Amino acid sequence: MIQNFISMNGYGIYVWSSFFATFIVCAIVYYKTNKTLKKYEKEFAKELSELSEAERKLVLEKSKIASQVLASSNKSI
Amino acid sequence: MFDLINPSKIFYWIEKLINFINSIFFIILIIAMTFALVLSPPDYLQGDSVRIMYVHVPSAWIGLLSFTCLAFLSILSFIFKIKNLNLITKSIAPIGLMFTCLAVLTGSLWGQPTWGTWWAWDARITSMVILALFYVLFILAHKLIEDEYKANKISSLIAIIGAINIPIIKYSVDWWNTLHQPSSINVYGDSYVHSSMLLPLMLMLFVLLLYCALIFLMKYKTEIIRIKKKNIKRL
Repeated sequence: MIQNFISMNGYGIYVWSSFFATFIVCAIVYYKTNKTLKKYEKEFAKELSELSEAERKLVLEKSKIASQVLASSNKSI
Repeated sequence: MFDLINPSKIFYWIEKLINFINSIFFIILIIAMTFALVLSPPDYLQGDSVRIMYVHVPSAWIGLLSFTCLAFLSILSFIFKIKNLNLITKSIAPIGLMFTCLAVLTGSLWGQPTWGTWWAWDARITSMVILALFYVLFILAHKLIEDEYKANKISSLIAIIGAINIPIIKYSVDWWNTLHQPSSINVYGDSYVHSSMLLPLMLMLFVLLLYCALIFLMKYKTEIIRIKKKNIKRL
């Protein structure tokens, strides 16, 4: 039964290649997208930390996004 | 209305949605894969090679749908000059390119056992390759042109011109004699696919759409952070 499932009556090579290619490409794109997102979050948090205390407070007060990015960047660390 | 897509208003929901999709994705993927590879029956003519349909057809649909969205948003961006729409189109384009390429690749893998050839300069296949080229041009315009305003304008123009290709792809199987079969699923008419195959097809489409949503949200979030990072001093 497992043999039949793998060979797919002779079409296994085509069927498995299609599924494998799709999921490998999807996994690579997910990994790269996630890595880029984390990199930007980290860089943003770093730039925020380089600001003076008053400037940082002002940025966090003015921008909801800045405080949310900082929170999610802290979570991922 | 466009205030609803204001990044500062939806940023919180982006994070929530990413977490939600991440939490349900693998369960739905396993269900869809079980239907596609185990429970659905082989075709009476094509045998088990028909299972390639479960990745090929959703990939092609997503490739087409993404470009339709790209063109529509580009037109809106041209008329209303909303910067945020450009961030959205920039995030959609790589997803569309990926699925168009996957549709061509899996189509080729399906072509060998059914048509006896990996490739043919058939109207449907060629128009899909042209679609991939439009995606490449759109992405290259953003990568190569440094002036963001100019890059947005040129990429929008590429998307609007490329939209002409969408009906050509859709009706290529009716207008020309092609190796590719005519469409078996019609939104407004009868579908020629049995429910035992339609269900796995729809499940796989749903899974891949969820994946697209996930990648889109992550890319869109990255774009928003990139813009905020650039303007941090101005804040």
